[in-house]
Amino acid sequence: MIKFSNVSLIYPNSTKTVIENLTLEISEGELVLVIGATGSGKSSLLRLINGLVPHHTGGILAGDISVNGLSTREVKPGGLAHLIGIVGQNPINGFVADTVEEELAFSMEALNLAPETMRKRVEEVLDLLSLASLRARTIATLSGGEQQRVAIASALVLHPKVLVLDEPTSALDPIAAEEVLSILHRLVHDLSLTVIIAEHKLERVIGFADRILHISGDGNSVIGTPDEIMKISSIAPPIVHLARALGLEEVGLSVRDMRRMTENVRANTPLSSPHINPVSHIPVIEIKKLSMVHGTTIALNEVSATIFDNEIVAVMGRNGAGKSSLLRSIAGVSDGATGHVHVHSINSKDLHSKVRRATIGYIPQEPSDLLYAQTVSQECAHADRDNEIAPGSTYTLLTQLVPGISLHAHPRDLSEGQRLGLALSIVLSANPKILILDEPTRGLDYEAKKSLTRILLEFATVFNRTVVLATHDVELVAELATRVIFIADGDIVADGPTIDVLLSSPAFAPQVSKVMSPQPWLTVRDVVAALEANAP
Amino acid sequence: MRKTPLHPLTWWIWSFAVAICVARVNAPAFAIASVGVVGVIVYFFREDAPWGKSFIWTLKLAAWILVIRTYIAVVIGVPIPGTTIFSLPQIPLPSWMPGVRIGGAVTLERISSAISEGLIICAIIVIFGAAASLTSPHRLLRVLPVYMYEFGVSVVIATTILPQLVTSFSRIRTAQRLRGQSIKGFASYRRVAIPLLEESLARSLDLAAAMDSRGYGISRKRSRYRPIRWRFVDTAIVATGLIVMGLS
Repeated sequence: MIKFSNVSLIYPNSTKTVIENLTLEISEGELVLVIGATGSGKSSLLRLINGLVPHHTGGILAGDISVNGLSTREVKPGGLAHLIGIVGQNPINGFVADTVEEELAFSMEALNLAPETMRKRVEEVLDLLSLASLRARTIATLSGGEQQRVAIASALVLHPKVLVLDEPTSALDPIAAEEVLSILHRLVHDLSLTVIIAEHKLERVIGFADRILHISGDGNSVIGTPDEIMKISSIAPPIVHLARALGLEEVGLSVRDMRRMTENVRANTPLSSPHINPVSHIPVIEIKKLSMVHGTTIALNEVSATIFDNEIVAVMGRNGAGKSSLLRSIAGVSDGATGHVHVHSINSKDLHSKVRRATIGYIPQEPSDLLYAQTVSQECAHADRDNEIAPGSTYTLLTQLVPGISLHAHPRDLSEGQRLGLALSIVLSANPKILILDEPTRGLDYEAKKSLTRILLEFATVFNRTVVLATHDVELVAELATRVIFIADGDIVADGPTIDVLLSSPAFAPQVSKVMSPQPWLTVRDVVAALEANAP
Repeated sequence: MRKTPLHPLTWWIWSFAVAICVARVNAPAFAIASVGVVGVIVYFFREDAPWGKSFIWTLKLAAWILVIRTYIAVVIGVPIPGTTIFSLPQIPLPSWMPGVRIGGAVTLERISSAISEGLIICAIIVIFGAAASLTSPHRLLRVLPVYMYEFGVSVVIATTILPQLVTSFSRIRTAQRLRGQSIKGFASYRRVAIPLLEESLARSLDLAAAMDSRGYGISRKRSRYRPIRWRFVDTAIVATGLIVMGLS
C-alpha cells in the first residue's frame, strides 16, 4: 500500500538529515507504530506519506514514496485526499466548520460529491465512531476525546485506504485513549484500513501494533515486529522494562502475557504490605468549599482539601473533570471561583508580582505561554531581573535541569522537553514554595519524562517543597506522586496515598501493578526493591 | 427529535421589517416596546453559541451610543428654543462657522429630542443585533448565492478561528499573571502579543496543512451538504413582521 524507496529528507538551513535512506513497505490492513525521541522526525515521516512534506514545509527529498501506486512527487496532498486521511497532533487546529456534521461534510464538499452520497457517508461515519449523539454540537464545546473522534471521522468520510495519526492519545485520559485506540483496531480489522500512528505513550498502543518503526534521530531506522523491536529498543513501555529487570528471555507486550511469564515471581514472594511515605503535618495549601461555574456547567462543586509540606499531589480525572480549574483556583487566578484557597495562610488571590513568584510557581498546559522573549538568553535575563538574583543564575539552573540548550535559540525552536525545562527554570529561579504543573507530560518522550520526574522529586524531597500536578499519565503518577486526588464532575471522589487510589481503579492502574497484582507494586523500581529485600 | 432550526434569513427579514416600523413610527415609546419584544424573543430562541451573545453586546453598544449622543447634543448643537434648564458657557467661534455652537443654553426640548432620536437609532441597532444573535453566521453563509460561496468559506473559517484566538488570548494573559507579571499597561500587551502571534501563525500553518490534505481547492466545483429549506414557520414569522410593518 505504502512504499518508501531509498527516502532521505533534509530541511533547508539544516545540516542534519531527518531521514536517511529509508526503504520500507507497508501492506494493506497493517497497523504500524512509529516510535522515536521527540525531534527524531516522526511527524516528518508521517507527513511524507501524503506529501505535506516537502510540498508544504519545503526541504529536499530524495528517493520516492508511493501510496497505492501514486507517487507523492507528482501528486499534491490535495490529490491524495481520497486515499489518505491524516489527523494532526492538535486536531482542534485543523477544524474548519462549527458543528460536527458540517465538519464531516467539508472535505466531501471540496471534492464535489453528490449531496445524497454525502448524507449517506456522514451517517455511516457517525455510526462507525459513535458520534451520532454529537452531530449537531459545536466542535469547540466537545471534550478532547470527542474532538479526536471527530477528526478521525472527518478523515474517514472520504473512504481513504490509509489513515495517518500523529500522537492521537497524548492529550487524552486513559479511558478516552482506550476508546480511540479500540476504534482504530476495529477499522484495521473490519475495513482492512492501513493505519500509521506515531505515539510516545507506548504502554497504550503497543498491544495494537502489527509492526513498529523505530527512528533513532540520527537518520537510522529499524522496522520489525513489536517483539523484535522491544528486545533492542531503548524506548519501551514499563512492562518491557519489567521483563528486562526480571531477566526474562521473552518480552511480553500485554499484561496477560506478562502475568503468565511472571507467575513464579509472584508465587515465590510473600505478599508485602504497601509502602506508604510518611506525611508531614504542616499544611501548605488549604482549600475550603471551592466552587466554580462555567456558564451552566459546574466545574468545581464545594471542593475542600488540605495539602501538606513535601507532598507530591497528582490531580487525576477525565478530560474536562475540573482538574485545570482546581489548579488555577489554587493559584488564585480564576476570577469566577468562590470559596477560599489559603497558601501559607495567605489568600492566593491576594498574591502579586514578587510575592506570587516566591510563593507559587505555575507551569501551564502550554509552557510557551509563559515565554515572550526572542531568545533563551533574554528569557533567562528577564527572570534574573524579575527575581533580583545574580545575572546568569537562571541559565545555570537551566543547564542543570536540561543540559545542552543554546543561549541563542528561539524558545519556539526548542523541543517540547527543552521548552518545559526553560519554563521550569524560569519559574524555579524565583524559588517558589509550591510548584503547580498542568499536564506536564503532553508530548514528552520517555527520556524527557524521566528527567522531569528527577527534577520534581528533587524539588519536593531535597528542598522540602510541595508539588501539585494534573495529569493523565498513570505511569508518571506511579513513579512520582505521594498522594492522588481523583476528580469527577467537579467533586473529589477519591483522595489518598497513590498506591491506594491507583490500585482501586482498573482503568487508572499502572501496567506493572496489573501484572504484579495482588502485590502492591506500582513501578519496576518497587518490584526490584521488593525482590531484593526478599532475596536470601 | 432534534429541533429543526429556522431558515437563516427568517429572523433577518423579520428584524428588517421591525426596524422599518420603528423608523416609520418614529416614537421613542414604540422603539422601547419593540426592543422589549425582541429581547423576549432572543431570550427564548437564542442558541448557546458564541454568536448568541451578540444581542447583549449590541445592547451595551446601544447604551454607549445613547450616552455619547446625548452628551454631544448637550455640548454642541443647534439651538432649539424652549424652557432653559441650565446654561453652559458659550465658546465663541469664528464667523465662517455659522450654525455651529459650542456650549450655550440647554433647553428641555433639545435634550428630549436628542434622547428620542438616540433611542430610535439604538433600537434599530439592537433589533439587528437580535437577528445576529438568533442566526448562526455559518448557516447564513450557506444560503449565499454560489458566486459568493468561496468567499463565504473563507469567512466561515475566519469566524471559527476568532473565538479560538480570544481563548488563547485569555489563556496567555492568565499565564503571564501566574508568572507574577503585571497585566496592565503597554508592556503587558507586548508580552501577550508575541506568544499570541506565534501561536496563531503556527495554527494557521496547521490549518492550511489540514485543509490541503482534505482536498480543499482540488475540484473547481463544490457541492453542498444538506440544502436549507424554507418552511411554513419561516413564512409565518416573516408574515407577522411584514404585517406590523404594513400597519405602521
